[in-house]
Amino acid sequence: MDAVFSGLASGFAVALDPFNLFLVLAGCFAGTLIGALPGIGPINGVAILLPIAYGLGFKPESAIILLAGIYYGAEYGGRISSILLNVPGDAGAVMTTLDGNPMAKNGEAGKALSLSAVASFIGGTFSVILMSFFGPALASYAISFSPSDYVALMVFAFASLASLVGANPVKTLLGAVIGLMLASVGIDANTGVARFTFGIPDILAGIDFLVVVIGLFGMAELIHLVEQQAAGTLKTLKIDKTFVTWKDLAFVKWTILRGSIIGFFIGILPGTGASVASAVAYGTEKRAARDSSKFGHGDMRGLAAPEAANNASAGGAMVPMLTLGIPGSGTTAILLGALLLFNVTPGPLMFSQRPEIAWGLIASMYIGNVALLVINLPLVGLFARMLTIPQQFLTPLIAVLAFIGVYSVVSNPHDLYMITALGVFGWFLRKLQFSLAPVILGFVLGGLFEDNLRRALSISAGDWTILVNSTNSIALYILALLVVVVPIIVGRRRRRQA
Amino acid sequence: MADRLFAGVLLLVVIGYTVIAFTVIHAPFQYDPLGPESWPRLLGVVGIPCVLYVLAKPDVASFGLPLRTWGRLAALVAMLLGYGYLFQPLGFIIATVAFCMALSMMLGAKLLPALAFSLGIGVVGYFVCTELLDLNLPAGVLTFLR
Repeated sequence: MDAVFSGLASGFAVALDPFNLFLVLAGCFAGTLIGALPGIGPINGVAILLPIAYGLGFKPESAIILLAGIYYGAEYGGRISSILLNVPGDAGAVMTTLDGNPMAKNGEAGKALSLSAVASFIGGTFSVILMSFFGPALASYAISFSPSDYVALMVFAFASLASLVGANPVKTLLGAVIGLMLASVGIDANTGVARFTFGIPDILAGIDFLVVVIGLFGMAELIHLVEQQAAGTLKTLKIDKTFVTWKDLAFVKWTILRGSIIGFFIGILPGTGASVASAVAYGTEKRAARDSSKFGHGDMRGLAAPEAANNASAGGAMVPMLTLGIPGSGTTAILLGALLLFNVTPGPLMFSQRPEIAWGLIASMYIGNVALLVINLPLVGLFARMLTIPQQFLTPLIAVLAFIGVYSVVSNPHDLYMITALGVFGWFLRKLQFSLAPVILGFVLGGLFEDNLRRALSISAGDWTILVNSTNSIALYILALLVVVVPIIVGRRRRRQA
Repeated sequence: MADRLFAGVLLLVVIGYTVIAFTVIHAPFQYDPLGPESWPRLLGVVGIPCVLYVLAKPDVASFGLPLRTWGRLAALVAMLLGYGYLFQPLGFIIATVAFCMALSMMLGAKLLPALAFSLGIGVVGYFVCTELLDLNLPAGVLTFLR
């Protein structure tokens, strides 16, 4: 317990450094702006700005503080386009449109925005507090993990991914396999054998992480935006003078608390981020409500629950990323890749070896949440103006940012073709209802998965039973089995009742 | 149908990947029990049934896009490739102005606003990135900038 408080104290020393404090605020502000753009969510925002943040040559803790600020800032800003425009920035904001947009149509736009800001703040803060206590505990437990335990952990991560993300588990699994395959391109570090490079010198060192991220998330999003533009125009609702009252907050206080808890714990599960968290929170609230007839027509509970949950899940998703090196969501997979770019390997040792990064990040999230609430209540009008940026200028801007980012880091014109090709590929995957998060998770975890498997089998001299040799790994395999089987049984039972 | 087409192409790629994993990749000396070839083999063995499943049970019938949208998307990809091709030789400013003009006009911007926007992004963007943020961007034919 003492370790937590001294860790937090040292973290605040890092986060309150004037430069880092500026980065927290700048990240939150930029994140909200990006999140408020119609159709652009946290994952695209972080992906597009990552190479630029990397190219600026900050210290690792400063860069990660900036990127994390953009992440939860965008999670925060996503509600603006959901409520006023009925266009969610990403899958995690879909639930917000269900009751948020009807509230705005009923002449309560101001109230919907302020209520969701408060719910987001409580959800975010709640999950950072839990994270400060859970993180170090999980890290000190995970220090004892052997390579074979890590293999089990990966299996669990991919099992929960396949079972909980997306409508079609086979497509999710295939997406993860594609990511793992992309990660296997390049020279094998253990033997120096080139794999799948076809003699192309540009990919001998592997496909650059930044190129994959920008391609799959930045460029694919760009193509998607152009496709949507042909579809027709959208109507933005005006912000009015209504505002959330204490009475409203008292009415939804348990809803927000439940949403926060659900969000945090679903966020921790590997691969399942805001989209699952907000859907479960909304569903729970609707079932728990005595009178659920207003849900979908502008019920405050239907807005507060998913907003608390998706911000809480942003914090929850950081826990496995920081402590195990296994990202809890697509966006944290990108943050993990960013840390690897800085030669920082997230994992159980990070809290002891690089405390300035682990604790600095956590402390910056406390500050960021407060800052977001403060800038969001009065400045919501400014952020809402983002919705009126003409798409014909926004779209080229995204492409230019992506090109600047890739070129300034890699300085290789070959990569500019590569991001375009990956963008087309990502757009096809998206159109065919593959979710892209598993691809990036597979790509980030590929090296780690293979290394641990090979290390485990080196230890056992090729004996595969080492994989099921410890209680940790057996427990993880059982969990993996449960996470696949339970949803199937629940689904079948529900269908029988219906 | 769209699903099947895509899965068919993907199947060829994954089979190619697996065949390479089983035949080409080989370490001259085995350092560890698995070597560099086992992991890609494992991925191929998991991947092929997944693709076959998607091939057998497709769930996206068609993209449902009108021909006009396909044309626009093709134009977009062509512009992106052209932008990438010209980025280094022409330099950031000229390539960006040309690209922004082309794309914003295609998306329906009027000539003058598009020109103002493109020049703004190209010139202001160049100096913000190179002078303020210290990022590396090509000067290209405008050699006096170097």
